[in-house]
Amino acid sequence: MFRAALRLSVSGARSLTRSPPQYAAPLAARCYSHGKQETDEEFDARWITYFNKPDIDAWELRKGMNTLIGYDLVPEPKILDAALRACRRLNDLASAIRILEAVKDKSGPHKDIYPYVIQELRPTLTELGIPTPEELGIDKV
Amino acid sequence: MSLPKPVMRGLLAKRLRFHLPIAFTLSLIVAAAFKFTVTEPRKQAYADFYKQYDAMKEFNAMREAGIFESVRPSGE
Repeated sequence: MFRAALRLSVSGARSLTRSPPQYAAPLAARCYSHGKQETDEEFDARWITYFNKPDIDAWELRKGMNTLIGYDLVPEPKILDAALRACRRLNDLASAIRILEAVKDKSGPHKDIYPYVIQELRPTLTELGIPTPEELGIDKV
Repeated sequence: MSLPKPVMRGLLAKRLRFHLPIAFTLSLIVAAAFKFTVTEPRKQAYADFYKQYDAMKEFNAMREAGIFESVRPSGE
């Protein structure tokens, strides 16, 4: 949260609150006062395309996830699905589980987000054989 | 039993929109309170002290006490 707070300077936050109410979602990545503001759907589609690259490499996966986590949002399940499939293509189970941990962390005090995301991702988790941190017992210190 | 979709975007912006005005207001209040309970009384105390301050009288008292080297007490 502190990282997100740093990203979102005071003036940035103020301009976000004045942004047009397109699906009431201020986008931390774009704070233009001019130019077309990207919709939530466009944002999601862009990230799904990023992770769907068939020959994505490990660096791009890490870079993509780190960038995504820096935004003032919890990624949509469909973006996470594409990221988990990218982990599968890269044979990276550790990153897949880490992504789930990151979602829980990004939710902060909002405890209803993580169970919802896991519910939406359950088919993918079963298909790809990805255990959740809770199933592994690594969610507690 | 399937969970409804919660709000997942703009959570920090929402929090800041609520807490930042409070934070700024509280800071200003604390600064104002400090100014009026500490700095202004302090400045007033100095002003009051120096309003009736007689530099020559104080100098002569110090002189008689013999602390200076450039002027000796009037007796010597």
